[in-house]
Amino acid sequence: MKKWMKTCISALLIGTASLALYGCGSDSQKSGAAPETLRIGVTNFADSLEPTDNYFAWVVMRYGLGECLVKFDQEMNPVPWLASSWSIGKDQLTWTFQINDRAVFSNGNKVTADAVKSSIERVFEKSDRARTFFDYTEMKADGQTLIIKTDKPVPGLPGMLADPLFIIIDTTVTDRDYQSMGPICTGPYMVKSFSKAKAEMEANPNYWDGTVPFKKVEIPSIDDPNTRAMALQSGEVDMAVNISPGDLKLFTDSSRYRISEIASLRTVLARINMSPGHPLQDPKVRAALISSTDRKTYCENLLQNTFITGKAPVPPSLNYGFDQLTDPNNYNPDRARQLLSEAGWIDTDGDGYVDKDGKPLEVNFVYYSSRAELPLFAEATQADAKKAGIKVNLKNVDYNILDSMAKKGDYDLCISNIITANTGDPAVYLNWYWKTNSSGSNPQNGSGFSSTAFDTLSDRLSQEFDPALRRQYMIDMQQIILNEGAGLFFGYPKTNMVSSTSITGAEILPADYYWLTKDIRPAKS
Amino acid sequence: MDSLISGIKHNWHFAFFSILALLLLFTALSAPWIAPYHPETAEMKNAFLPPSDGHWFGTDKLGRDCFSRVIYGARNSLSSVLILVCLVFSVGTSLGIISGYYGGKIDTVIMRLADIMISFPGIILAIAMAGIMGGSMLNAILALLSATWPKYARLSRSLVLKIKQKEFIEAAHINGGTQFHILIRHVLPNILPLLVITAASDIGGLMLELAGLSFLGFGIQPPAPEWGAMINEGRQQLQTAPWLMIYPGLAIFTTVVIFNLWGDSLRDVLDPHSVHQERISS
Repeated sequence: MKKWMKTCISALLIGTASLALYGCGSDSQKSGAAPETLRIGVTNFADSLEPTDNYFAWVVMRYGLGECLVKFDQEMNPVPWLASSWSIGKDQLTWTFQINDRAVFSNGNKVTADAVKSSIERVFEKSDRARTFFDYTEMKADGQTLIIKTDKPVPGLPGMLADPLFIIIDTTVTDRDYQSMGPICTGPYMVKSFSKAKAEMEANPNYWDGTVPFKKVEIPSIDDPNTRAMALQSGEVDMAVNISPGDLKLFTDSSRYRISEIASLRTVLARINMSPGHPLQDPKVRAALISSTDRKTYCENLLQNTFITGKAPVPPSLNYGFDQLTDPNNYNPDRARQLLSEAGWIDTDGDGYVDKDGKPLEVNFVYYSSRAELPLFAEATQADAKKAGIKVNLKNVDYNILDSMAKKGDYDLCISNIITANTGDPAVYLNWYWKTNSSGSNPQNGSGFSSTAFDTLSDRLSQEFDPALRRQYMIDMQQIILNEGAGLFFGYPKTNMVSSTSITGAEILPADYYWLTKDIRPAKS
Repeated sequence: MDSLISGIKHNWHFAFFSILALLLLFTALSAPWIAPYHPETAEMKNAFLPPSDGHWFGTDKLGRDCFSRVIYGARNSLSSVLILVCLVFSVGTSLGIISGYYGGKIDTVIMRLADIMISFPGIILAIAMAGIMGGSMLNAILALLSATWPKYARLSRSLVLKIKQKEFIEAAHINGGTQFHILIRHVLPNILPLLVITAASDIGGLMLELAGLSFLGFGIQPPAPEWGAMINEGRQQLQTAPWLMIYPGLAIFTTVVIFNLWGDSLRDVLDPHSVHQERISS
């Protein structure tokens, strides 16, 4: 009897204690809300603020620290930022950028053409990604005028310089730990402290482009989408980026929250490894796998219409022929089974999976889970592929590991959520993932995909200035990818930023590296 | 065995919890007949349906029937915890007996190894090991085995050291009993009840630890149903589809409570002496 009593009392005590703790938690969060502090819940992949490492420059820009010469507007047109204007010479190789005369770094140093030159040179020294955008033969600085001469015509150069990789930093500062404090930049905020788990920012006293609305900004990394939503509900953060599709309906009360949602420039796709030795080397097996996936249901039912059904590499939000492209591998489970049997894969042992020469057809699918939709697409693919007889083994890894696995080709299927037009048009994206990678010439393409027709179009595109022709080349390149089954395009996300009504100006833009901007202000000021 | 049968007859607690534990095992074994759907059959058009007549526990993110997954999950959860307990019990106990009985260098080596393992927090060590070896139920079991065996080794060693000095062991030596014979016939039966009780009481705790590893993604991999993994899947829809967490959570709760109370009542049956003493002292 005594034992029962003890159990009951312990249960009661635990219950009371957890209630008490819950009470403490919400109280302290609410009382800690100071109006001069902005708190943003984000997902963060970076453990360093060195802009030339990995994609960490994105975080430097997202956190309101760094700015480029050029930025993108709502329609992805390049517009002036640190550069006030630009032009191209008749030789189609010489670009002249006028640097804004008012621009200063957060340490008070003036942003001169010489400083910009030195910053761009540093990017080319330190990042092997820089040359995948463009290469220059000469760069000259004169006062506020910067001249960049490229080795071949680069029609999209201003858009390329809008990529966060080309954030302008003060290279004269050498005694600074870029990994933990970031470089000296020109953005509205400066780093006070940074770790992967939490960043604290303070206003840049020398900001050149208007007043900085908040004295302090706290950015906790809340990688779990559900926790991020709850942090916003409890008032722990004032705004959150990328609330998961299912949770958006929790924020429909417009007196408390504002949802900024936009059809993004992103594609969720699985890269398909077709290198020798991988099961998806066989085009029929690739086609069977793609045909077995019911992507319409994934986007409409599982993700509750927060995704547009996938078909082609470039999303329909960009005008690159989405409707005129044809996918030969539409959802058709019967065709999938037919293709597999044509390729010699038949279920001989009755285990539900097809096999050939005594080996079952197994495909390794690598994914990461900090974006809520990726595990869902991965598991849905596993379920649908099983119906066709393909065994999909799921492997959940950290994003940084996934990135290096993708480059090394250490996968059969590798899913990610990729921005397709970070330079204004999808040329760089198409080249990165599908242009032939011969001995490291294109490190992003770890899939083994190589097509002469694609490479020829890509070479023509790189020198073409006529927008209509450029568009047509990119449409043709996409059709080649679709015909070859060189990617499994799941869908195109609508991206969102949800903010409390205590702040204004939290707008998500198509290029999703503009998160914390000077336009986010307290509602009452 | 006699004491168990007599326990069922005379100790209603033990009888009651034994029946419940058997019922759980029966449910797990007869999952294909109880579950209305196959646990991995995804009807994606029916995703996130709330509990209804057609789907008692609702459906999950891929439109799979949660009731069927909970029932099938019992197979994975129960079988893995029982395998784990048997492994921990046999590995830990064997090493402890060898260490205690033979002493000397063997004792030092085994016990220092146990000290090293015990100096790490158990679940952290298990997470690290499962992380290194990769996610699978076998790896999760091995990880927890490596973190838990020292407890049994130390317990059985201390029991062996106590018994080794007894006169009946010396008598067995004098009568020409081999070491193996003495270990099996005289030492083991005398230390077994306490170790069995410990193992039975550990089922609940180990089940929580296994579910914890699965929750973190180190256990069984999708699409196989397992309660810890199901809670993790449901976590994403905590506010919009709470049934995805509630039912697997209840399943774990019920199972852990049943096995914990069964372990307690087993102690009453196998070791009435300690209960008697507890009553006198309190």
